[in-house]
Amino acid sequence: MELDAGDLIARIRARDADAFEALYDAYHRLVYGVAMRMLGDASAAQDVTQSVFLKVWSSPDLFRSGNFSAWIVRVTRNRALDVLRSRNAHQEVELPEALPETDAIEDIAFARLDAAAVRGALATLPPEQREPIELGFFGGITHDEIARRTGIPLGTIKTRIRMGLRKLRVALEGAVTA
Amino acid sequence: MTASHDEMLDDVAVYALGTMAADDAARVRAHLETCAECRAEYAALAPSAIALGMSADAATPSPLLKARIMREVRHDAAQADAHPRTARALQGRLWPAYLVAAACFVLAMWSSLVNLSLMQQIKSVRSANVALSDRADGLARTLAQTQTTVADLTSANAEHFAVGGSEIVRVHDHLYLAMHDIPQPPHGKVYQAWTLPKGGKTMQPSLTFVPDAHGSALVALPVDARITTAVAVSVEPAGGSKQPTSKPVLVEQLG
Repeated sequence: MELDAGDLIARIRARDADAFEALYDAYHRLVYGVAMRMLGDASAAQDVTQSVFLKVWSSPDLFRSGNFSAWIVRVTRNRALDVLRSRNAHQEVELPEALPETDAIEDIAFARLDAAAVRGALATLPPEQREPIELGFFGGITHDEIARRTGIPLGTIKTRIRMGLRKLRVALEGAVTA
Repeated sequence: MTASHDEMLDDVAVYALGTMAADDAARVRAHLETCAECRAEYAALAPSAIALGMSADAATPSPLLKARIMREVRHDAAQADAHPRTARALQGRLWPAYLVAAACFVLAMWSSLVNLSLMQQIKSVRSANVALSDRADGLARTLAQTQTTVADLTSANAEHFAVGGSEIVRVHDHLYLAMHDIPQPPHGKVYQAWTLPKGGKTMQPSLTFVPDAHGSALVALPVDARITTAVAVSVEPAGGSKQPTSKPVLVEQLG
């Protein structure tokens, strides 16, 4: 899947609708899956999916290099956060800031990661580290909110997130070189 | 390393995960500009955090979503294509010498087409042209049908009947069946649609189909939607059946 994304994006820059359709066919289930997990609502998830892909069509230059799956997930998460933000407009809950979409921070070593490798790496984390990481990423809430909901001290939550991400990196590197 | 800097490294991890409120995130960003150790930590953790999203279970949206998106994209691409055509037309006007040369060449060719050998070649080319013309007509018909389908599915007048994870869409006299997340039928079997005409007592056999690799299927049912009161789908032997031979996987009355 990853091998063709850069080529398809190059053709999309030349306004090739067939290339866009191929990209949609390859990635729409990932985008919709992330949106569904964050929003839990098929209609809203479809709106986010539409928004993400039309963004790819209108601004293909936003993707520069690296792992296309990781990039499009980040864009999807940001759009889903926008939806959550509008839902929470009249509540006290503060939502996290959107992730940068134009910084090429993906590690080149992770360029060929796939979903199974990431799930496998995530499964190696102890639950006390995995749960706040997943809740933070997919739940669209801040670490303060995680601490409040779980009753665990804020400092502990932050340390667990850091330790978990470090372990995740080691496990992902292992998956890449395996 | 101080305790407070350890806390800052924790903050950097939370920032990399994208779970920080705007004020805290601004504070961490400012610190990253001045602290090489924290920048290294961020560079190490951010890719892992971003990769997390790939662990989400893939899911399949309605096939109608693709129709909606592709309609906009193809419309936009067609507009983009219009400009190069204009440019080519302008190029033609700017190079009259080229056209004159081409015309001279055609005239020269025409005058030389007096021997039988060339006449036979022309006959062959004409046959090929006829075949190409027929193929072009076929493609044009297919394109017109596709455009009609897209226009119907995205029409504001479309009536949507949700059935579980599937949909039946009625637009004027057209009727569409959109199913997703359905399993592939067993070997030697297909899905078959059934329709019930107004006043009818038995379901009438309609098209057979199989879903794509993602478990999605979009079928234009060849009936008049205005006089169709129900749609059903069942699993049948390849080639279809005259009467349903298995329990329907979908049944919907159309109001």
